[in-house]
Amino acid sequence: MSMLTNFAIGQYVPAESYVHRLDPRSKLLFVILFAFAVFMANNPVTYGILTIFVLSGVAAARISYGYMVKGLKPVWFLLLFTVVLHLLTTKGGEVYFETGWFSIHEEGVRQAIYMTLRIGLLVLISSLLTLTTSPIDLTDGLERLLAPAKKIGVPVHEVALMLSIALRFIPTLMEETDKIIKAQTARGADFESGNMVRRAKAMLPIVIPLFVSAFRRAEELALAMEARGYRGGEGRTRLRQLKFTWRDPALAVILLVIMGLVGWLRA
Amino acid sequence: MQISLENVTYVYGEGTPFEKEAISNLSLTIPQGAYVGIIGQTGSGKSTLIQHLNGLLKPTSGTLRMGDLEINRKTKQTREWRRRVGLVFQYPEHQLFEESVIKDVMYGPLNFDMPADMALLRAREALNIVGLPYDEFKDRSPFQLSGGQMRRVAIAGVLAMQPQVLVLDEPTAGLDPAGRKAILEAIYGIHQEQKLTTILVTHSMEEVARYADMLVVMAGGQIVMQGKPEDVFIQAERLRSLALDVPETVSLIHKLNQRLPMDQQIPLTLYREEELERHLLAMLTSGKGVRR
Repeated sequence: MSMLTNFAIGQYVPAESYVHRLDPRSKLLFVILFAFAVFMANNPVTYGILTIFVLSGVAAARISYGYMVKGLKPVWFLLLFTVVLHLLTTKGGEVYFETGWFSIHEEGVRQAIYMTLRIGLLVLISSLLTLTTSPIDLTDGLERLLAPAKKIGVPVHEVALMLSIALRFIPTLMEETDKIIKAQTARGADFESGNMVRRAKAMLPIVIPLFVSAFRRAEELALAMEARGYRGGEGRTRLRQLKFTWRDPALAVILLVIMGLVGWLRA
Repeated sequence: MQISLENVTYVYGEGTPFEKEAISNLSLTIPQGAYVGIIGQTGSGKSTLIQHLNGLLKPTSGTLRMGDLEINRKTKQTREWRRRVGLVFQYPEHQLFEESVIKDVMYGPLNFDMPADMALLRAREALNIVGLPYDEFKDRSPFQLSGGQMRRVAIAGVLAMQPQVLVLDEPTAGLDPAGRKAILEAIYGIHQEQKLTTILVTHSMEEVARYADMLVVMAGGQIVMQGKPEDVFIQAERLRSLALDVPETVSLIHKLNQRLPMDQQIPLTLYREEELERHLLAMLTSGKGVRR
């Protein structure tokens, strides 16, 4: 259980907040444009502005910082790797430390900090998106944003449907995996000891039943959709319409201010 | 083997926004050789409880004991415990994976380091117990069997490990009446034959009434009633308030007792179908109490 319950990265946390009630289209666009701002930043002031903004965004979404930090877990290694790489390889400026071939330069430290901040900010802002937007809203928003691409023959509806089915089934398959792991553990399965080959072999009793049930579910879902008359996106109406509210222009203004500040204050 | 729980609490997703207490401060003793029925609505904590019985979940607080073994929050090794307690999950047919029935049934015993010839012998026995003749089924693919047969293969897979305690989570869910009966009778058979401590989780009052000699009623993560079946069934009102019902036989006894004179009341201990039938027949043939 433990290994799967900790896997709640970016899982939607329902709540009432300004961030939650933003239109998913605005949030998607915002995240993309914010990423540009992150790449524009190149000095302490601009990074500072962006960091303060993300942290206050988390607060506005009423999500605890501890939970956000947990969400960074899967990228810890990447962050650490970035830091080490920059410390070791980026040269220039004052030399802080030197033994033999190994030296740490001013520029290396600066780049290590900037790169870590950059990755951290990008991960935080995008997990803020998924934490505050239900998967359905997210794919709806995506479908609407990409709608113009239909004209050039991109199957936008189908892609959005695939995406929402995939998202919808992540928890289900997760639960299924958990159940199967437990059932095989109860039958004495051991997934932790032995060498690579042995361990890979030990996964078979999990993978096979999982595939069997995934195929069964897919078949049942297709049948259920057909039985309810699904025939693609053509002429399909929606129960819940996406609507812009006062919150969305407000977000646009915030974005403009941030982009402006970063553009103006960058070195 | 007797299992006892002391103040066991389990919290799912500790430290996340999804934190939820599934069972709270639960104490229970399951005597050696008993057939215990656990009933309760969906979400009452039954599944969490039985995963503790098998050592799959470790209590957030509290202790479980069985013989010289103990499980608490800090326990690392639960393998020996698991060897003694066999757990059959809901829809156990979803765990089948081998290419032949016999290989699948032998998976458990082999995992617990049983020699291959011994495992084969046990698998053969287990298949026969669940009513799948060894010679006919051993080489068939488990994925080509019917739902009921698949489930029996899965149950045989646990029986072949020869556990001292057998825990079953709704073993009859989704089966037809004949399939239900076959599985329950097979389980009852080995329970009696090998004095196997058996724990049956179910929604069906009829099933527990027929087999169990002790009942545990759960609601909201706690044990709200426990004791002999007749002591639980007598509290029909309370059961109904928990969205549970009494078995048909018990409600028949209640109805009859309302019409019968005081000296001919039918005792609630006759909740098993055959016993009630015998009693009613005796009443009818002796000619007493059948006044309109």
